[in-house]
This record gives sequence, structure tokens and C-alpha cells, in this order.
Amino acid sequence: MTLRARMPRTAIVGGAALALLLSLSGCGTGSGTAGSDDGKIHILVYGDAANKVEKQLIATFNKQSKVKAVLDTIPGADYQAKLQTVINSKQAPDVFFNWGGGSIKPFVDADLLMPLDDFIAKDPELKTRFLPSVFNSAEIDGKPYGVPMRGTQPVLFFHNKQVLEDAGVKPPKTWDELLHAVKAIKAKGVTPIALGGGDRWPTLMWFEYLFDRVAGPGLFQKALDGDKAAWESADSKKALGMIRDLVDAGAFGTNFDSVKFTDQGSPTLLATGKAGFELMGSWEYSTQQDAHPEFAKKDLGYTAFPTVKGGKGDASDLVGNTNNFYSVLKKTEHPEAVAEFLKLQYSDEFVKAQLGIGNLPTTTNTPLFLQKAASPGYAKFQYELVEKAPAFQLSWDQAYPQSAATSMYQAIQQFFNGQLDEGGFIKAMQALPTS
Amino acid sequence: MSTKTLVRNEQDEEIAPRTTPTDRRDGVVGVGRPGFGWAAPAAVFFGLFALVPLILVAVLSFATWNGLSDPEFAGLDNWKKLFDDPVLIQSLWLSVLLTVLGVAVQTPLSILLGVWAAGHQRNRAILSAIYFVPLLLSVAAVSVLWRAVLDPNFGVPAQASWLFGDGNLFGHQASAIGVLVFVSTWQFTPLHTLIYQGAARAVPQVLYQAAQIDGAGTVRQFFHITLPQLRNSIITSMILMVVGGLTTFDTVLILTQGGPGTDTTISAYYMYQKAFKSFDYGTASAVGLLLVLVATVISLVMVRLSGYDKMRSTMEGL
Repeated sequence: MTLRARMPRTAIVGGAALALLLSLSGCGTGSGTAGSDDGKIHILVYGDAANKVEKQLIATFNKQSKVKAVLDTIPGADYQAKLQTVINSKQAPDVFFNWGGGSIKPFVDADLLMPLDDFIAKDPELKTRFLPSVFNSAEIDGKPYGVPMRGTQPVLFFHNKQVLEDAGVKPPKTWDELLHAVKAIKAKGVTPIALGGGDRWPTLMWFEYLFDRVAGPGLFQKALDGDKAAWESADSKKALGMIRDLVDAGAFGTNFDSVKFTDQGSPTLLATGKAGFELMGSWEYSTQQDAHPEFAKKDLGYTAFPTVKGGKGDASDLVGNTNNFYSVLKKTEHPEAVAEFLKLQYSDEFVKAQLGIGNLPTTTNTPLFLQKAASPGYAKFQYELVEKAPAFQLSWDQAYPQSAATSMYQAIQQFFNGQLDEGGFIKAMQALPTS
Repeated sequence: MSTKTLVRNEQDEEIAPRTTPTDRRDGVVGVGRPGFGWAAPAAVFFGLFALVPLILVAVLSFATWNGLSDPEFAGLDNWKKLFDDPVLIQSLWLSVLLTVLGVAVQTPLSILLGVWAAGHQRNRAILSAIYFVPLLLSVAAVSVLWRAVLDPNFGVPAQASWLFGDGNLFGHQASAIGVLVFVSTWQFTPLHTLIYQGAARAVPQVLYQAAQIDGAGTVRQFFHITLPQLRNSIITSMILMVVGGLTTFDTVLILTQGGPGTDTTISAYYMYQKAFKSFDYGTASAVGLLLVLVATVISLVMVRLSGYDKMRSTMEGL
């Protein structure tokens, strides 16, 4: 058989491959046009145990509405990457879960989201029924884009009562008291503060609080708005210096970069008395209840972050995850139904259901039900903090656009463990993309 | 049937093929080379899942794309940025370093183990079966396991401070790289041991018998008979290691996440960060393409230097 005789077959094989390829790529490029409408609103949520409440609310909604709602979930860590893939496709949801701030900024810039002004004009309660410090963290360029839909998670300063007692110190109210406590606990041969540096976001919490206490919330906001000089300011340098001093004083031990929160490393240090403090989101409480119930009941203490003398930040400012939010896609075909659905997020049923699974909602009717919370004392403490906070700083990694997170984590970790000096850190933060 | 008739028949067919379709020997001619159609399934898969993505990545590397709006042509911007990017340059060196360390540690280990396991003694058979187990576990599971074993407060380092100091294995570049090399060695040495075990068993016994008669001891036999006989297997195994080393990803993702700082951010992980953490698909594509180029050059050089492409037989003269 000659070579020439084979040519047609090659052509057929190649042609078939090409046809397949074209049909495949055809699936991927459909974008922009309104979704394949099946007469329902699709609600996309981060998949975890809290979905129980979302399911309950959707069932309630479906009973009263002609347009039905469907819950779609994406489990765990993949959420943001998958959302990014799906949001500009035909499969895009009508309403989706997010963290406010930088997590939705790229979507706003791409003109995919609907500002909620019109909804609020028709139903002012969609704004007034939520705590302002929380509601505001889903505002982009002065327009609201999100409605709080789960619980707030402020970062709190936890401690092991037994360790503090053994070292003869009280929970610190000021920075100086903290330094003193660190020294006293270290003298007992115990690591003063547990830190899951391997995860990197726990390290970031120290920066968030110190920058707020020293400079007030304005400095970070300026930096986020693109004023790179903010990082070089005297306040910024003062906060960095305080972090440096604390690390150098041995407050975190030496091996914090090998410890993680996510694999139970740092919570176990605190629970077993190998560390005195841990700065962590409010979920520390439920983490300890699951892993070390005895400790959670008896020895787990919590306070707000210490104040800094002469600092510009209000002593009751908070940082952390303000809440999770529902945002609405511009191209939804059922805006009225979506508006009705969002109203459920401040209903009594919502508050009760969230409290039932240990979340702390941020609606104004929440205090009515706090006694029914899983841990009423803890829930009340947090709610009052959030209610009174003049500023509630969204975690930096979520306030900045997603594209900044990796570089930010690197700079944070490197400054903390001494790989970067003050100048290097400032330069790294200035290099972060802000929009 | 005599040889003579067979020869004549074949000649006949060349002149006038398929004169008698039922003739048995019609099939014999076809055996020479299978038709191109047989390659079609593999070709289609390779085209769809290797070539097409490669071409798309090449195109994307000249664009900026965040996955939301349409890709915008950006010319050489991504590439220019890349070569000014200290993290990328470092990541390439780290990839090469991890690969070289992996080869340097795993090759001698697996040759020795493989040659040892090639013996037919019963205890060796049992031990090599046990030693094969790590290969059966998923890379992710193995990484999670070692992360727990190496925890500074509750793992082995806490009990062996004379060796690990404060146990900050993931807090320094050298020790973090050490952990990565160690974990891949633990997992992948069994595979290469298996290759060498098979190859060592294939070495003709006559060679050893002859060497024994000439008075060569075990060590001399190893260096002068076993090693040269394993040449082709060594190259095969090393190419596998290099490919595996350059594409290492899961161990880094789970054990170090590229840290501390960027100290273990190897190229494959850097590409992942750019694409799926920063949503900068243009730069990520450029990194990916660069990795393809580097890997291609390295394997070409290896094949050339080792004479693997000539496929010289180790059986010459036997």
C-alpha cells in the first residue's frame, strides 16, 4: 500500500478531530446572553453544614412564591474558582453567596451585578434591618451589592484561663498589659500566643488589628483606594514596629510557620495549655467545642483585642468576616422574585434558624432571639461588639481583589518571620493590585 | 508446505495482490505495518487533551484574561513581566533543584533496593511486597499524613528535638525543601525499585557465572555486570523522575503551599497560583508554556546524552 493511498484516512481522522474540537469549544463561548431560563431562580451557595438554613428558607420561599427557587451548592475550597468560571456563562446563577468587598469587585467591574438601590427604594427595610457596619462591607463604589445571609465572624482574642492564672496575669485590656502577660507566660516555659502561621491568614489578623488600633480604619481604606503612600506613613511603620517587637519577644515561639489552624494544630496548643492566647475568628469557639469540649466549657476565655495607647483607632473597632452576602446578577429574569427572596434574610425564621446552627446573624431583630442561641453568653458578647463597633474592617485578603491575596499572604508571612524587613514589606504591599 | 512455495507465493502477491481473497497469506502481508486508522483513537485523544490545550495556552499567553470578560490581546506583556519576575526565575530554579535532588536521592536507593529485591529468597519477596505499599496510596493522602507526622508540637519533631530543634521544618527554605524531597522519595522509590527489580532479574545468569569463575566478588559483579546491564532501565527511571519532578504539584500544595514566603513556590505551583488564586490566566499560561519548553529541552538533552535514542542492546555478544 502506498503512502498516497493513506492520505484520505489521515484527512478523515483529522477532520473528525477538528469537528469534535469545534463542537466542544462551541459549548464554552456562550456568554453574555441571559441564562437558559427554566422559570426558576437559581441560588448558588458555598456548600457546607450551614446549607441546612438555606434549604429551609428556600422551602419557605417556594411556598409563597409563584417563581420557584433552587439551591445549588459548590463544596468548600473550590467555591471562588468555580464561581469565577460559571458567573459569565449560561449556567450563571441569579443569586450567589460571597464575602462582600474584593470578592465581588471584579464582577462589579465586569458589569455583571445588579446594584440593590432599586430594591431598597421599594423596601427600605432591606437596608435598615441590618447592622450598618456589616451591610457597608458589601458596598462597592458607594453602591450596595449584597444582603447579609449568614452569621458574622469577628476576630476575637481567646485565652486559656488556666494558663493565665498559673502565670498570674489577667486577660489584657491594653497593649502594655499584653506585653507583660507575654513575658510572664514565657517565663513559665509556655508559648504565650498560639499562631497557625502555616495557614497565613491567622498571621494576617495581627496586622489587621494593629493597623486599626494604631492608625484607625482610614489608613487601610486609603491604601485600598490606591494611595500607596499610606503604607509608608508613620502610623504604618509604628504598627509594623509593634508587630516586630512582639515576634522578637518570643510571643509566638519560633516554629509558628510550621503550625496550622486548619489541621487543629494551634487550637490544640491553646486547649492543652501549651499556649496562653490565640487571636482567631469567632469560629474558634465552635472548633474548641467540637475538639475539646471540656476545655471549651471550663477554661476558654475571650475578650476584644487590646487597646493601644495613643492609637487613633477606636477601642471597639473590629476586624474579621463581617458576614456572607447574597448578590444578584444583572441578567436575572425574575428581579421581583429575587427581591422577595432577599426579604427573607431579615425574617424571624431566618434569625432563629441561623442561631440554631451556631451562626450569629446581623439583623436588628437578632437580640430578640439571643436567649435561644446555642451559647447565649457568647452570642450576646459578639452581637454587642458588632452592634457597637464604629468600624468593622473586612479581612484584608477579602477587601483586596482576589488577585492580590497570594502576594499579600507572602509579604505577611515573610515580614512576620523576619525574611522581609520593614522596607521590603512596605514595597510588597504597595505592589499589590488595588482594582 | 516448503519454504520455496512460500517465497514464490509472496512474490506472486506483490505483483497481483488480492487475486484470491480467501488466500490465507493475504493477511500475512498486512502484518507488515498496521493501517493508520489504528492510531486514530490515540491520536484523537492526544490531539484533544494535549495538543489543543497546548495551542490554546500558547494563544492565551499573549492575552490578559480573568475568566470573566473576553480575553484581550496583550502582545508580549505577559512574557516581559515574567522575565522581570523574581518569583518566576526562582521557581524555575526550585523546580530544577527539586528534580535534581529527587533523582540524586532516589536513583541510588532504588537501584540498591531493586537489585536486592531481585533475589528469589522468600524474605525478600515479603519485604518488597510491604515496601511497595506507599506507591498504592494517593499523593494527597501521603502528604496529609506526613504533614501530621511532622507537626512541630504533636508529631515526631516534638519527641526528637535533638534532631529537629524547634521543629520549624516548614519555616525555613532548606528544611521545607528537604521535607518535599523526603516525602516524594518515600512515595516514589518503590516504583523505581520495581523497575530495577524486573531489570535485574532479566540479567542473564551466565554473566555472573562467568564472573565467578574469573574470581570477581559481589561488589565487582555489581559494578561491572549489574550496573551496565541496567543502563536502559536507569535512563527510563530517570526520565520518569525528571518528568515527575518538574510537574510536582500536589505535595507542594498540601505540605508547604509554596511557603515560607515564596521559598518552595516551584513553577507548576506558581502557575496554579496565578491561574486559580489570582485569576490571571494570561500570566499562568505563559508560565505553563515556559514549563513545557524547559521540560522538552531537558528530556531532549537527556535522551541525546544517554544514547537512549539509539536503543543499544545490553545483550550484545550474548
